[in-house]
Amino acid sequence: MILRTPETESADRLDRLSDLLSPIVIKEVRQMVRGREFNYSFTLSVVAGLLVALYTGMYATTGTEDYGVGIFAALMACLTVVGVVIAPMGAFNALRNERMERTLDLVTVTTLSPRRIVIGKLMAQAVKLATLFAALAPFVAMSFLLGGIDFLTIVLSLAAVFLWSLWACAAALFLSCLSRSRAISGLIFGGMIILLLFVIGTGGMGFFLVRTVTYGPGYGGPPISSAFVTGGTDLWWGLAGMTLVCVVSMVNLILLAENRLLLPTEDRSTALRIGFFVQFLLIIGVAVFQVSSRPTYLASLFANMLGVLGGLQLAGVALFSVTEELVLSRRIHLQNKNASGWRRYLAIFRPGGARGAAYILAQMALFLAVGAVVLPISGWEFSWLVAICGYICFFTGVPACAGRILSPRPLKPVHLRVGALLLFPVATLLPDFLVYLVTGDFGGIYSLRHVLDPIRTLSAWSNPTTTPWHFLSLGLGVIGVASYLILIRMGRRASSANETAH
Amino acid sequence: MNGTILEVDALVRSFGGLRAVDQVSFSVGKGQVLGFIGPNGAGKTTTMRILATLDLPQGGDARIDGVSIVEYPEQARRLTGFMPDYAGVYVSTTVAEYLDFFARSYGIRGAARRKSVDGIIEFMGIGDIRDRPVESLSKGLQQRVALGRAIVHDPQLLILDEPAANLDPRARIEFRTLIRELAADGKTVLLSSHILTELSEICDEVAVIERGRILATGTVQDILRGLRRHRILSLRLAVSNAAIERFLLEQPGVLKVHDAGDSGRWQFEFDGADDAQAALLQRLVSAGFPVLEFTAQDAGLEDLFMKITEGRVQ
Repeated sequence: MILRTPETESADRLDRLSDLLSPIVIKEVRQMVRGREFNYSFTLSVVAGLLVALYTGMYATTGTEDYGVGIFAALMACLTVVGVVIAPMGAFNALRNERMERTLDLVTVTTLSPRRIVIGKLMAQAVKLATLFAALAPFVAMSFLLGGIDFLTIVLSLAAVFLWSLWACAAALFLSCLSRSRAISGLIFGGMIILLLFVIGTGGMGFFLVRTVTYGPGYGGPPISSAFVTGGTDLWWGLAGMTLVCVVSMVNLILLAENRLLLPTEDRSTALRIGFFVQFLLIIGVAVFQVSSRPTYLASLFANMLGVLGGLQLAGVALFSVTEELVLSRRIHLQNKNASGWRRYLAIFRPGGARGAAYILAQMALFLAVGAVVLPISGWEFSWLVAICGYICFFTGVPACAGRILSPRPLKPVHLRVGALLLFPVATLLPDFLVYLVTGDFGGIYSLRHVLDPIRTLSAWSNPTTTPWHFLSLGLGVIGVASYLILIRMGRRASSANETAH
Repeated sequence: MNGTILEVDALVRSFGGLRAVDQVSFSVGKGQVLGFIGPNGAGKTTTMRILATLDLPQGGDARIDGVSIVEYPEQARRLTGFMPDYAGVYVSTTVAEYLDFFARSYGIRGAARRKSVDGIIEFMGIGDIRDRPVESLSKGLQQRVALGRAIVHDPQLLILDEPAANLDPRARIEFRTLIRELAADGKTVLLSSHILTELSEICDEVAVIERGRILATGTVQDILRGLRRHRILSLRLAVSNAAIERFLLEQPGVLKVHDAGDSGRWQFEFDGADDAQAALLQRLVSAGFPVLEFTAQDAGLEDLFMKITEGRVQ
């Protein structure tokens, strides 16, 4: 007979509860608590907390000032290092090791999908972060008791650091999937750490993040809670916007990592395209919201914001979508064919058949419709938005189209992407270089040859010297759109041939 | 065959211009062990990765208990246990935790999971190392744990790619016993190995692959019988007698007689069935030759391999 003690019963209960968690989280946490990295991080966090408390505590006993704010700022510095350096390093290594040790294949053949694997790795880092934050919790409570800092500031600052730390972990997970080579992976890792240190050095601590939203640079002024009371809803909207941007971009980073882990024969595009479409809608939404709540004279500022952010997003997404494979793998073909219910309406987000070009054109139409209808902007500002779309079409569509038509062998997407990336510097630098070779003078004045340079042309769109050449920029756009349409036609033909073959 | 579990139909997989797998077809019945043999670069691992749903064929399909690996890879994964040519261990993870993780990953919950992990530990005979870190185990034990991982979800088909590579003789024998036990338990096993003598002891049938193409499938003896038009017979006399060569050459069906070197041992090719072979022995004895041994030469897997393959790689 097996004796059931309260301990065994609670262990059984916990074991049953653990079924609700991702297997990846359980494995990672088991490995983490035995690993040196976590134990060192935990110990260092506690030691740092103790030092801060002792140092500030000595002064607190001698005076009447509110020392809590100083302690809290120092603790936030520690937490930021933990959140933006240590946790992302752990995330990067977790997935990189899985690929390097080839255990990822073993997990892939189970019923866990790559998305669940990535989310599991991220959640494991969330557990690690929560534990390290908890280690500093007594010192944070001490800062509150010493005065000078209010509860809302503490909660918002901790939440912001936690959320952006998770974002950094998601970015690290994506970066760890970029290369299978140990050397390149190491280089990426080193680059990521330098970038993160740069972000910490220039961006300040999480504490200042929230306070900057409230007061601007520096950490003077009254507690944030009073600012929220006096500052109206704007501050809350600001925070909500920041949180939304963080969450949406974090989801896209997860989807990017998933994209890298999926086999090329799987549908790697649909979820990612939906994610980036939502991000695009968010950019438009923020622009429209800001315009509606601001004076009219600020409208052009937000039109600029929409143009720059929306344009950059569209350009990045277009580079990958327009150059995708036209022919589908059998598995995706079957999935597309068997799509039923609401999934049928996702056709434009699916891969293959040059749907990527249609997906970009649809977003451009939305982009321009918002510019024309919702934003109170002038004709030239609207033409600027049109030119942005035109340049994107030209620099992504023309190389993709030319590569497919002119190459005797079918080119891989990566070749087309490299072609598009090379066209950009060639188009922007070569004309000036040739002029220099002939005349010995670069000639700083904007002229006809600079029409091919989108950055120069678009940044000086309102300048009268560029105006005579606007029609040429728009002409390039027409060529770009035409190449998109040719791609769509090629894609439809390839799809039909594929259909027959399968 | 007791019902087909794995049916591979005209698989094709190319990498650039190279056809790694070219119209590969074969089938394996329930509880059978099929040895997949071929030189390096023949397409064994690619075929196995396709069957484990880690790769997708450009043509053809494979069905595991009727489930297509192309159309329903998720379902096929539940029916398949895959063990690549490396153990794939996690650091800071005990044997029990390692198996528990994979059981969870296959969606096995609660008491069923605990029962499954305990059952595997008992079956594999690794109870005394269940709390030891996997990375600290010997290669042989790591392979055992890896096999345990591959069967933790009770699959119908086991795909084992070079499972006995780098194992010492004892571990190899133990591993072989485990595979036979699994087959006796109704599991279908597809197994590749370079150690052909070992395969011949485990496998019910073999499939020989070279340059992406299946050259032959069946039992070793069936394939050899198909390859050779004549059987090779060996004869040993108690007392050496030079007249035997002439006598043999006069018998119907006997071709190419030669002295095998040992005293009184002769080898000759014989074109005839079992009854003709029996009649020949009768005639030898009646003619007064003191026959000590009269056997058909038993060709092994190595012989078959060398005969079929040309040693060409892609």
